[in-house]
Amino acid sequence: MTINKRVLSRIFILSFFALALASCGSHFIGVLNPKGIIASEERKLLFNTMALMLIVVLPVIIMSIAFIYHYQISHRVQDYKPNWSHSYFLESLWWGIPCAIIFVLAIITWKKTFEYDPFRPIPGFNEPPMTVQVIALPWKWLFIYPEYNIATINYLEIPVGRQVEYSITTDNVPMSAFFIPQLGSQIYTMTGMRSQLHLVATSTGQFDGMNTQFNGVGFSDMHFMVNVVNETEMAQWVKNTQKSSLKLTVAKYTELLKPTLNDQPLFFSSVPANLFNDVIKLYMNSNGTTHPRASLTEGKMND
Amino acid sequence: MISHLLFGNLTLDAIPFHSGIIMGAFAFMMLATFAILFVITYYRKWSYIWYEWVCSVDHKKIGIMYLILGSVMFLRGISDMVLMRAQQAIAAGQYHGYLPADHFDQIFTAHGVIMIFFVAMPFMFGLMNVAIPLQIGARDVAYPYLNSLSFWLTFVGAMICNASLVIGDFAATGWLAYPPLSETYYSPTVGVDYYIMSLQIAGVGTLLAGINFIVTILKMRCPGMTPMKMPIFVWSVLCSMILVVLAFPVLTVTLALLALDRYLGMHFFTDFAGGNVMMYINLIWVWGHPEVYILILPAFGIFSEIVATFSQKTLFGYTTMVWAIGVITFLSFVVWLHHFFTMGAGADVNTFFGIATMVIAIPTGVKIFNWLFTMYKGRIRLTTPMLWVTAFFTTFALGGMTGVMMAIPPVDFQVHNSVFLVAHFHNVIIGGVLFGYFAGFIYWFPKAFGFKLDEKWGKAAFVLWVLGFYVAFMPLYVVGLEGFMRRNDHYSNYYFQPYLIVAALGGGLILLGILCQGIQLIVSFTNRELLRDHTGDPWDGRTLEWSLASPAPLYNFAVIPKVETLDALWAYKQEHLGESIAHLKPQHYAPIHLPKNTPAGCIIAIFAGILGFALVWHMLIPALIGFLGIIGSVIIKSFYFDPEYELDEATIKKTELAHFKEIAECKAIR
Repeated sequence: MTINKRVLSRIFILSFFALALASCGSHFIGVLNPKGIIASEERKLLFNTMALMLIVVLPVIIMSIAFIYHYQISHRVQDYKPNWSHSYFLESLWWGIPCAIIFVLAIITWKKTFEYDPFRPIPGFNEPPMTVQVIALPWKWLFIYPEYNIATINYLEIPVGRQVEYSITTDNVPMSAFFIPQLGSQIYTMTGMRSQLHLVATSTGQFDGMNTQFNGVGFSDMHFMVNVVNETEMAQWVKNTQKSSLKLTVAKYTELLKPTLNDQPLFFSSVPANLFNDVIKLYMNSNGTTHPRASLTEGKMND
Repeated sequence: MISHLLFGNLTLDAIPFHSGIIMGAFAFMMLATFAILFVITYYRKWSYIWYEWVCSVDHKKIGIMYLILGSVMFLRGISDMVLMRAQQAIAAGQYHGYLPADHFDQIFTAHGVIMIFFVAMPFMFGLMNVAIPLQIGARDVAYPYLNSLSFWLTFVGAMICNASLVIGDFAATGWLAYPPLSETYYSPTVGVDYYIMSLQIAGVGTLLAGINFIVTILKMRCPGMTPMKMPIFVWSVLCSMILVVLAFPVLTVTLALLALDRYLGMHFFTDFAGGNVMMYINLIWVWGHPEVYILILPAFGIFSEIVATFSQKTLFGYTTMVWAIGVITFLSFVVWLHHFFTMGAGADVNTFFGIATMVIAIPTGVKIFNWLFTMYKGRIRLTTPMLWVTAFFTTFALGGMTGVMMAIPPVDFQVHNSVFLVAHFHNVIIGGVLFGYFAGFIYWFPKAFGFKLDEKWGKAAFVLWVLGFYVAFMPLYVVGLEGFMRRNDHYSNYYFQPYLIVAALGGGLILLGILCQGIQLIVSFTNRELLRDHTGDPWDGRTLEWSLASPAPLYNFAVIPKVETLDALWAYKQEHLGESIAHLKPQHYAPIHLPKNTPAGCIIAIFAGILGFALVWHMLIPALIGFLGIIGSVIIKSFYFDPEYELDEATIKKTELAHFKEIAECKAIR
């Protein structure tokens, strides 16, 4: 029995390490392989916190194993103090050290939370940020580039090294969250509200973007592709998109409001004026007992 | 018309005949139920079950019923785990696995709801019922009949949740049913209604139990047991129950408002017409965050008892421990916003809640050091309760570390909603709450049932559980950092699959661990004569419950003890080291007043169940029957003017002398 257990546990431990090694061989994704200013800073913060916490956590683990091993009754340790239960020195030590660590962490938290507040522009950029308006639709993402009067579905192209300001809302889908792990920070999207997010990509490439907040049966498909390119490629792409035969008319938008799964990217060469603000206002000014989009989706949400 | 008043929206279509998994589960449940009913009938045990258990107001029996409820629901929660892990292990790329998205969504919702409300909470109340009155030297809880009602309400809540498996569907919204997803527009089926009714009924039971235990601890302690002489488990339960009383009304009100939205078309939390989604999320976490401390504080208490007992040493820093529990209790109410930093509250608000959250790590760390130094210079017996504690230290420390990491808003912006978060809360809930309850279960099992649990199978279960936990959740930390989100029923990137396969294997190990626990129970029951606890003090205990026979007699204490110190029994044993047991025997016995058994608790809960089920399906007549039934039975119960009876001297004397004889025989053999 015991041998079997040992063999079994070894097999599992080995397979776990093999797997860890295998994944080191390929490239990490997500925040472990950041491609944006915010994601790099957040990654740094993550590991710094972990290091600070290990100051306490490691001794706890080592002491727990050492004490339990050493003071087993079968080891007949002579040093037995059944009534020793109080020490001002020791107790101030373990109130004091965690207090000190948390004090340091609190200061870091205070500074960094303000610094990386998604609503604030990232300092150090002279150029005004490029604006992208994002609308979460039933299980797809609509991106509007108001400066170029173009829009896309499930595809986001942004220039490298330039700050992008995302204004985000939702239409006809429950609260969702906008997230590009390798660029940084996620933020919830809600109807009648504009969330904001500021991100800068530091290298070109294609990354995964997604909804992280469960919002119904199409949740798992609510991904979009992020293509980070240089300025000239970006300009070229804008030009090409402006030539697209598809136009985002009000009728087309109404069609997009119907729940769909696994949408392929679409490119629109024009966008109704003020679409983003109108969507927010629609919910802000709504009243009555029926959902503003009820007529579109009668009985369709749960198909 | 009349059929609509009777059956509301319920039709045969509500039963998902097309789903093999659900029908299989249904068939299994029916088979098990019929098997149990058959066995009861065959052995003619109906009246025994009814009078001795269903009607019982004895805290020891109610505790056992809570434990059984928790264990049975645990099997359902674990089946959900198996289904989810299997689905995520295979549903990569173009393949969408074997579960349709809608079914998967119900499963993860049910997993969360069941594990928190119908596994952890019943287990906690079970252990409290078994131990608390005995630890404070009381003959029962303050309100025995209320205790029975609390249990049956929890039971009915769990049954409504189970009914949703077969009749209709369960919420597919996540375990906290965030609106607007949980509003009628996005979730038109009965799933969320089942969720609301199930939690409302169980929630009332929990609130009543919370009040009951607060009063019990404040008013029923034996003479001499001043607050600072209470066993630490009693302190932890007191604080946990204060949290229950403060937090559960918030849950009840929040769900009631959601119900008003759904049933009467109001707009508290809708995403249009002025509803405020963010209000629900705040309110539900004002309950939800204290809830995790409601669960973990008693586990801390259990660890404290076990570490001291099995190190044969006084708990280190008792006063510090009490203060640490107090600080945690207070802080648990000022951190709820850390569950949604990403909602965009702004840097100042996020900073406040981030720092408040990490401050909780200080008293928690203090407690861990106190436990470590309780073991230091002790004599540690590594029996199964203590083994769970050893696994707890490492596991909980790691979980605490990732918790503090996520308390920093900018870090949370990266890992929120990912499986990193899932790994974190399982790390603290399994490593802290579950391991604690397992340890407490083995520790108090002899006190509840009269015999110890088998050590060999207990150790096998321990090894598999701990190993399984690490294999299942460490990969989730990694893929969480790599951008794999929770609640995905499939994913297109094959990169994640190896990790999720390992996690599924870990789930398999946990399943084997549970199998070993099942075998442990069966083996222990078969060998119960060998494992019988004759002395009532199998672990060389320190607190009053171990001064009684196992299982404790109906009246607990023939003579209410007087306490002068902390760890009263330990001090007493040290004083009378090596003496015969003659000094234990009191000079004379007096008759004892005991509460009469009553079916009222069960009957009221059944009417509550009828009301809940009828509301789910909008059945007017049954709803009225349920509602009037509740009111009526409460009124009728209030006319029982004589709820007590007297247990005579002779019976008590006989019981006590039999116990002393058993102890004497035991000593003689040694």
